[in-house]
Amino acid sequence: MELHIRDVAKAYPNGVQALKHVSLTIPFGMYGLLGPNGAGKSTLMRILATLQDADAGSVRLGEIDVLTQKDAVRQTLGYLPQEFGVYPNISAEAMLDHFALLKGITERAARREVVHALLKQVNLWDVRRQKLGGYSGGMRQRFGVAVALLGEPTLLIVDEPTAGLDPAERVRFLNLLSELGERAVVLLSTHIVDDVSELCTRMAIIDQGEILLEAEPLRAVADLGGQVWRRVIAKTELAAVQREQAVISTKLLAGRTLVRVHAATSPGPGWETAEPDLEDVYFAALAGRIGRRASADGGGR
Amino acid sequence: MKLWAIYRFELAYQLRRAFPWVLLAAMFVIGFLLARDGSLSVALHDEFFINSSFAVAKSTVVGSLAWLLFGAAVAGDAGARDIASGMAPLAFTTPVTRWQYLGGRFLAALSINVLAQLTVQLGIIVSVYAPGVDPGMVGPFRAATYLTAFCYIALPNLIVATAVQFAVSVRSGRPMSAYIGSVSLLFLSFILGIFLFQQGRLDLARLFDPIGVQFILSDLSHLWTAYEKRWRMLALEGRLLENRLAWLGVAAAVCAWTYATFRFAHRSGGGWVARWRRRRAASEPAGTDEAAMRAVATTPIVVPRARRQFGVIGQCRQTLAIASASFRAVATSRPGLAMLIGIPLLTVLVVLDQMSLDGVPLIPTTVQVLEELTAPVSAEMSRWVIVPMLLIYFAGELLWRERDAGLSDVTDAMPGSEWVGVLGKFLGLAAVLVAFTTMQLGAAVLAQRILDYSQFEWGLYVIALFGLQLPEYLLFAMLALALHVVVNQKYLGHLVAVAAYVMITLAPVFGLEHNLLIYGAGPFWDYTELRGFGVSLAPWFWFKAYWAAWAVLLAVVARLLWRRSRDDTWRARLALARARRTPATMRVATAAAVAVLGTGGYVFYNTNVLHAYENAEQLTRDAVEYERRYAGFAATPQPVIAATSLRIEIHPETRSAEIRGSYRLVNRTGVAVDTLHVAMARRVETQGLMLRGVDVPASVDAALGHAIIPLSAPLAPGDSAELTFTVRAAARGFRESGADQAILPNGTAFQSAWLPLIGYQRLREVSSASARRQFGLPTRPLIPSLYDEREWVARGRGAMFDATIGTPEDLVAVAPGALRRSWTENGRRYVHFATSAPIGEEYIITAARYAVRRSRAGGVEVRMYHNPARDAHLERMERSVHASIATYTELFGPYPYDHLTVVERPPRGTGMHADPSVISHGEGFPLWQPHERPGSLDLPFAVVAHEMGHEWGVPYAYVEGIPIMSESLAWYYAMQVIRRERGEAQVRRLLTFMRQPHVYPPIRRGEPLLRGLDPYLSYRKGPFALHALSEYAGADRVNLALRRLRERHRQADAPLATTLDLYRELRTAIPDSLHPLLHDLFEVNTFWEFEAERARAEPLGDGRWRVTLEARARKVVADSSGTEREVPLDEWIDVGVFAQAPSGAAERLAPLVLERRRIRSGRQTLVFDVAGKPDLAGIDPRHVLDWVEEEDDSNLVPVTLPPTR
Repeated sequence: MELHIRDVAKAYPNGVQALKHVSLTIPFGMYGLLGPNGAGKSTLMRILATLQDADAGSVRLGEIDVLTQKDAVRQTLGYLPQEFGVYPNISAEAMLDHFALLKGITERAARREVVHALLKQVNLWDVRRQKLGGYSGGMRQRFGVAVALLGEPTLLIVDEPTAGLDPAERVRFLNLLSELGERAVVLLSTHIVDDVSELCTRMAIIDQGEILLEAEPLRAVADLGGQVWRRVIAKTELAAVQREQAVISTKLLAGRTLVRVHAATSPGPGWETAEPDLEDVYFAALAGRIGRRASADGGGR
Repeated sequence: MKLWAIYRFELAYQLRRAFPWVLLAAMFVIGFLLARDGSLSVALHDEFFINSSFAVAKSTVVGSLAWLLFGAAVAGDAGARDIASGMAPLAFTTPVTRWQYLGGRFLAALSINVLAQLTVQLGIIVSVYAPGVDPGMVGPFRAATYLTAFCYIALPNLIVATAVQFAVSVRSGRPMSAYIGSVSLLFLSFILGIFLFQQGRLDLARLFDPIGVQFILSDLSHLWTAYEKRWRMLALEGRLLENRLAWLGVAAAVCAWTYATFRFAHRSGGGWVARWRRRRAASEPAGTDEAAMRAVATTPIVVPRARRQFGVIGQCRQTLAIASASFRAVATSRPGLAMLIGIPLLTVLVVLDQMSLDGVPLIPTTVQVLEELTAPVSAEMSRWVIVPMLLIYFAGELLWRERDAGLSDVTDAMPGSEWVGVLGKFLGLAAVLVAFTTMQLGAAVLAQRILDYSQFEWGLYVIALFGLQLPEYLLFAMLALALHVVVNQKYLGHLVAVAAYVMITLAPVFGLEHNLLIYGAGPFWDYTELRGFGVSLAPWFWFKAYWAAWAVLLAVVARLLWRRSRDDTWRARLALARARRTPATMRVATAAAVAVLGTGGYVFYNTNVLHAYENAEQLTRDAVEYERRYAGFAATPQPVIAATSLRIEIHPETRSAEIRGSYRLVNRTGVAVDTLHVAMARRVETQGLMLRGVDVPASVDAALGHAIIPLSAPLAPGDSAELTFTVRAAARGFRESGADQAILPNGTAFQSAWLPLIGYQRLREVSSASARRQFGLPTRPLIPSLYDEREWVARGRGAMFDATIGTPEDLVAVAPGALRRSWTENGRRYVHFATSAPIGEEYIITAARYAVRRSRAGGVEVRMYHNPARDAHLERMERSVHASIATYTELFGPYPYDHLTVVERPPRGTGMHADPSVISHGEGFPLWQPHERPGSLDLPFAVVAHEMGHEWGVPYAYVEGIPIMSESLAWYYAMQVIRRERGEAQVRRLLTFMRQPHVYPPIRRGEPLLRGLDPYLSYRKGPFALHALSEYAGADRVNLALRRLRERHRQADAPLATTLDLYRELRTAIPDSLHPLLHDLFEVNTFWEFEAERARAEPLGDGRWRVTLEARARKVVADSSGTEREVPLDEWIDVGVFAQAPSGAAERLAPLVLERRRIRSGRQTLVFDVAGKPDLAGIDPRHVLDWVEEEDDSNLVPVTLPPTR
């Protein structure tokens, strides 16, 4: 089963064009959707999660037309929104049980088993009787994951799931996701590059409503081999470097600035080659050095 | 200044949103409509200007009331937005003080609310000067009219309400809780006000009215004279001032409380229950996260596969799950607890309080209690208005629950139809209502138990509460929910839902009268012990079925527009709605539409095809047309009915009756009658008019009920002729107002109004001056002037009456007259009644499974027909009847008949009515059981004596002062019976009861007694005046005058009596020295005001004391326009000194001395020497002339004794 997104466009009443003809094919497994804040990730996620309608385009999940057969999608969907609240005065167990029923698990005993297993899986078993109002951000997030996992979804949409998690929880969470990737289409939106590089077999980079690059992370990194250069400069030199070079990223380092640039050949003395990583791919795509923006500009320098 | 900055920001923020503007628009429309429709119709009737201070004040009060419910979100948002939106951590950590923060927010909300109320005034002004108003209804423009209404009524109202709304929302952190604040303010003050009012504490009740509806305005309507309603300007004085000050005090206290309890602090959430639970949970040891994590990480967990169901069964379960979650959410919220526990507790108190009438306990039968618990949703003055108000709130809270919690993205992406959400939440509301109804039932039974009553009729309870009352609420719940869904904006949703509710309750104001057009409306059911539900259930059912079908359509709309997407534009919502038109949904919609058409068609067939639909306008038009066509015959000489003979067949099985009647007509005029005019009743068929046994060529106007019969041979003066006719009454189906309940298997009752009358009927004319003007009819007074001598002429002396009535065998029929014969024929039972003397044109015919109690009093046979299940009242009633016959015969002359009938009839209610030789009473009267203890008033005894007094009535003219001639005299008569039978103390208790303000609040101005029409004048002031006269002149003299009055006017050719005749007889009977008093009592509005200021006593030895009383006296005369003028007082007034009454004594006052002394205006000192220890001293201590007797009786003062050595 694959998720096919074709020419999806979406504009908001205030005139913001959130998505401009987005097309993607998302296969089984983990898929990363990487992009800065406001890139249109959440809009796309909500369209896939049936919460918003596209102005144009089509979305198909296997045989299902996502845009019209909403209920069929919902039956096989797991959705973890970027932000969500909880009813403060109910326990995690009761709430999850309620959601399990809404997801169609009507048999009480079966529901109980599923709920218990999920609570254990997301590590909320010991606090299952506590009111959700008293949960920490991480606990709440894990609760959301449990809800998303109810009913063995074949399409799992997780919108910026690691944003509020501490490092340990993040690791656990990502592990959980990759396990799921074996059984479902998992679409993970994030602005944290590491989430994608560690997990996803495929990814897309999105900015201002456009897909800039669709690739396999490892291959994309490999493709940049030998084209990333680094140099430590004084802050005052930065402006000049930015004028002359295709700067991918800058980083402050003990009062000086570490600059990484994209160039087919050495940009000059003082520059050394750098091992490319996914962050370089990301910034290069955003900066129009590679991917769709680069081809639209008539190819990189 | 920061407060100013916060104020400006808040104001700008709110005004950038749609809600305040919608609110302003709504308030404008309300102001406009109130002035147009509300005041206008009243104004036309009462003849005041629609822009008089009175009219504007009225509209302002109602406008305030509407704003209270519409506009709560303004203060709610100002108070709770930061917390609700999660901005609190940012806002609360800025360096502002609580004073600046709360002050700025509060003042901003107040400003918007001030704007909203100003818009009401604007609406009124536009309404007055926009086209479409009769210029005669508009007085001169006076800016003060609007300013006073705004400043004295609206402004204090909105300060109080904004303070309460703000306080509640700041406290709870939820904007919509402000609405609950509004509802509570309204409800508590309403309940408390009514309660205090019924306790006789009108003064306190007025104080408890925060908006001015119940007491301030009803006071104005009641107390201001017609002149004042036109011209008087509302002034901040007296009660209004007290009330306004009191509520501004409350507002200040509420604000202080808000300020004192507010903290810039994180809200941990939940009430004390949640905190307590949290504390308990916290004390339980929990495994450390870290350890658990590692343990789990090493053991992979397999989530079992579970079968999933998305079919109908699955969806049903989901629906139920949402319903139960919704129920829990409501039931555990504060407003939910208030509804499920608080209101039922209040219900207990209400029932306990209502199970007595005028201080006399009522047997709390189930029907009686149910009356307190049930009301149509549309009854805006019912205390159960609170239920729809709460439903609106709960519907909003439930609908917005996911979104408020930020959970809607998760829930919206769950599988399943929108039906699950719609029905789940509706069923949640329904479950709340079921729980509420159950609690109400419990409360009712508890109240009955407390009152020592245990014959619970469980079946009736269940049918009435669950079968009949619950559906009223359910229909409204669906409407509230659907409106919230459609509007999809929380505050606007509340506003729209409240507006819809206002539309329902005040539908006629908006031009909607037919119950097929008013959501949820229909004829209400009715239950009495005699007739059970009668035939009231069928129309109830059909109307409710029709509205239930509409409710299903509303549910379909709710499902189509159910919000389940981030796209909130109408375009997106409609696109979604189109996509949701699944075959199943369309099938439901089609079925509901078919049901709407089917039930609606059936209802329409009944209300408009089987019966003529008679709305107010149609009835007015008919009356106008009747007058136009036939008023010309008003002066045409006509014979009178000298004898009536009826043969009545009652057929309850077909809800029909046939009356074959004959009138013996006598020409008592001096000219020959050549044309007969017969007025026929509406709603029955009058056929077969035959004169002297032959068919007459009548021209019959069936629509207006008038037949003109030219006589072949004119009826010469003194001649008589027989007119025969047949009247058929057959109830079919039901009318828009409900089914005709006249003919029933048990509890049949109908009036003589079904029978034809002779001549043009002036009582059918339109009396309202405005309608007369509108239709171009000549103006005329509401009732002919006292001095209109044409009205004094007697046109007949009543008719001899006899009737034979046939009924099914199990029924006992009752008509006026003695029972001459009864027999059975063809399986039917027949009775024959005949009167021994003529009776009037009004009487009642009843038939039920009666028991009868017979007795004789003098030469009179008394028969009392009653429900066999109720007989506890009979002895008291019989005693009063017998005592009345004896007393009245002796004092006022013979009783005209040898028979007297007392008959019980539906509906409920304690009302009693007297027709010649027949007294009928509602089914509630037997439940009225006075305390049997010394000092208590036996009001039922007095009421029977009063009605018996009517049997000794004087034939009186239809002119001003008519109720003085009937009601005042009957009450004075009753006092004579009570004095003889029960003693003077009981008379004084009756008078004390009558002086209480709460049945008929006193009126100080208006017409004098001679021209009195108002109930206060007829039922209170008239009896007080006659009683005062009898105190001064002696009862014998007054009685003699009344006896002479009656004798004189019962003579064959005597004119009809008026108050002028009464006045003349009284004047003749009393000494000349009392003529000024008589004048003061009857010819002008005189008020005596006495006050005992202080009294002290010094011992004289031998147990004798000298008491010095300082008292003030004042005498005031008020003219009909309301101007009061003090006049010098120089009269003999009761003064006295009283010892302490022994406990348990029948009399409150034990006089040591009680005498009359000459009293003048102003302060004076009175000295008494008494033989006994004085306790109280007073001036007019028994309120013979000063008819204001308040709780702390100012006519009496405790005597200060010297300190004992």
